[in-house]
Amino acid sequence: MKRAVLAFLLTCIAFGAALEATSPPAAAQPQARNMTQPAPNATQGTAGVGAAAAVGAPQMPVDTAPAATPNAPLPGESETQDALPEPSSGAQDLYESARGDLLQIRMLLKNGRTQSTVGSGFLVGTSNLALTNYHVVSQMALDPAIYTAEYIDTDGNTGPVELMAVDVLHDLAVVRINRNGSGFFKVPEQAVRLRQGQRLYSLGNPLDLGFAISEGAYNGVLTRSFYDRLIFSGPINSGMSGGPSVTASGTVAGINVSRRRDGESVSFLVPVKYAQELLRKVAEQPAPPGDFNPLIGKQLLAHQAGMVDKLLEEPLTLKGMGQYLVPVRESGEVRCWGRSNARGAVYSVDAMSCVMQSAVFVSDVQQTGNVAMTHQYIRSGTMDPMRFATLASDNFQVNNLGSTGDPRLTKPFCTERFVHTRSLPMRAVTCVRAYRKFEGLYNFTLLTASTDASQSSLQSRLDVSGVSYENGLRVTRAYLGAFGRSGRR
Amino acid sequence: MSDQAQAPASALWRGPWTIETLARNGEVLHRHRVAALPIRMGRAYDNDFIVDDDYAAAHHAVVEAGEDGKLRLRDLGSRNGIVHRGRRIKDALAIDGDTVVRMGHTSLRIRGASHQVAPELVDRTMHGWEGMLPGGAGIVLAVLAALLVAWLTDASNDLERYAQFPAAAAGIGLVWSGLWAFGNRLFGRRARLGRHLFIYGCALAALVGVRLLASVLAYAWSLEWLTAYASHAAVATVAVAVYFHLATVTPQYRRRLRLACGALAVLASVLILGGNMQRHGRTADELYMPVLLPPELRASPDVPVADYMKQVEAMKREIDEERGGTP
Repeated sequence: MKRAVLAFLLTCIAFGAALEATSPPAAAQPQARNMTQPAPNATQGTAGVGAAAAVGAPQMPVDTAPAATPNAPLPGESETQDALPEPSSGAQDLYESARGDLLQIRMLLKNGRTQSTVGSGFLVGTSNLALTNYHVVSQMALDPAIYTAEYIDTDGNTGPVELMAVDVLHDLAVVRINRNGSGFFKVPEQAVRLRQGQRLYSLGNPLDLGFAISEGAYNGVLTRSFYDRLIFSGPINSGMSGGPSVTASGTVAGINVSRRRDGESVSFLVPVKYAQELLRKVAEQPAPPGDFNPLIGKQLLAHQAGMVDKLLEEPLTLKGMGQYLVPVRESGEVRCWGRSNARGAVYSVDAMSCVMQSAVFVSDVQQTGNVAMTHQYIRSGTMDPMRFATLASDNFQVNNLGSTGDPRLTKPFCTERFVHTRSLPMRAVTCVRAYRKFEGLYNFTLLTASTDASQSSLQSRLDVSGVSYENGLRVTRAYLGAFGRSGRR
Repeated sequence: MSDQAQAPASALWRGPWTIETLARNGEVLHRHRVAALPIRMGRAYDNDFIVDDDYAAAHHAVVEAGEDGKLRLRDLGSRNGIVHRGRRIKDALAIDGDTVVRMGHTSLRIRGASHQVAPELVDRTMHGWEGMLPGGAGIVLAVLAALLVAWLTDASNDLERYAQFPAAAAGIGLVWSGLWAFGNRLFGRRARLGRHLFIYGCALAALVGVRLLASVLAYAWSLEWLTAYASHAAVATVAVAVYFHLATVTPQYRRRLRLACGALAVLASVLILGGNMQRHGRTADELYMPVLLPPELRASPDVPVADYMKQVEAMKREIDEERGGTP
């Protein structure tokens, strides 16, 4: 019966909270981009929008706009939604000569040998090495005890696949199979020079429907992402990941990797230069590593070092929000979005969120190496201080710091304190979680709230994922120390 | 104890005698007075005490003066016999004023006129505080608490909630107190709805007050554990309320009720701690204190960022231990 009273109280509080529906700007929930990896549950085809549409594929929250502005095309990422012309005779010839070296790569569950994901790949030159995406073979790299892989070529022949090397940061992998290529796909020693508008042909096995070639145009290098990506204005669908994009002569320009979900035929390729580097590494190594996890951990550590250096290479920019100065970083890799949310005459919320587009795909449930910062400025001219305090407290409660049941991360550990920067008293909460599989990597979350005013509240959140403890501290210190008051009310 | 034990002879054995039929919990259901010994008991109408029980014989037992100065209860050859402390008595049983025997489905005891009764209890019941007055006060308290919650959590100037919250508080209070009043009527003969409503109102106000107080104290002096373990204060409040409800129903067992409520509260707290541990890997209710209050309520000094960062740095050891602990 005691519970009844408790339940009632909770109901009251929950009810109150529900009525408010303050809808705080979610901490930069970036819009998902489709890793062109197929969904094992095949409700494909129909779910899509438009011709290039796919499919519930694993998603990657990079590259993107905040959820509020779904369809705003970024400058330079304009839409190419016109219907593509019929494949030219060039495409037909190209496919005929390329099909012998084109592969579909399937991840199989060792128990029962059912496929979990499928992607594409291609034999390099006349060797028995094939290139594909890391995210196509990630399961095998992370859990070799559970997953294995096989290839199928265009004639339906199958064979085992052996993982040779991975490059998590650029999303590349090299595998070895039991036959040699015909030499059609040439991975050049030097970087390929491409001109904007140049025709490229993308090959692969879209949606596990069958091998296909699609035609599009090269449209420059994506500057927003942390690592170079080529923009390919042509359809790339789930399952074509790891397939080659070649020029008319068969020179590989890039490897299919992803597409923009909110765009039409805006797809991305990994530049071939990274594939060259990886192939060189494979040539040097005597044998493939037995366990890829430490290797992946090392690559992620290298990534975070570069990322944090880049983030902190110059002091954070200070922007004014009401009477407060908030730190942000605005550069090519970090995009900020603002939003205002006036709630009638009672109170209003201005939000700003910045995301560094540097997330790295580790597995379909884990991305890392990302930085996101959000500021919310809540103010009210009419609310009583205690009432405003309740509103601010409600808003300061963050529930999505992750569950404890997560096998990839430890439970969050938090430290809270009332601190003061040079000019602003604040409440600071830092929560840290460690990666279980990758030693030395942590997720940092910093939550702050100003404590200087009774009718306005500045609440910020900083998420840095996949960093070393020192770098986590560095970013937290730089960010926390930058807050201040502008003197302007 | 009764005084019959020391009675020297049958000189003290004076009537009239009172036969008390008891309920299972020891309450007297019925009293019957008999002027003189022997007392014949049974279902038949020629008995001195007629036992209304289908499981009693027509002439079931007789009570006589024994030679040792005690009363003797003798079975008259009934089929179901007489049971004392779970055992059927063979022939006769010496009884005093506290001996309870069962014949058939009827429990009874026999007391003489000289039986000593317990001293009267000190009456702490406020008899004026019954009925409409405390009931009204309870409802008013509950409504005020609900209004306070409605106002504090109102972020949209929504007037509807100022009707909904009090209505819910009053409605739940009526149902809750009504159930207690029903129990009270059942076990304590009077409903005392007003008293129960008053207890409910106080408990609700206390719950809100405790929560607010914890938040204010925690914020003012950086006592984050206060809000982290606030649910235990709520449990204690509810336990106290339940104790008062129970004490209203059966005022004579206050000590036992106190122990029982205390034990229940401890059990609930342990369950909360265990549940938190299982779900979040920590005993606290929350990961961090989300409470933000006006700056005037802050009493402790803030620390510089550098000090705070040292604290964050120190956390690494703990995390690495956790990481290594469970691979």
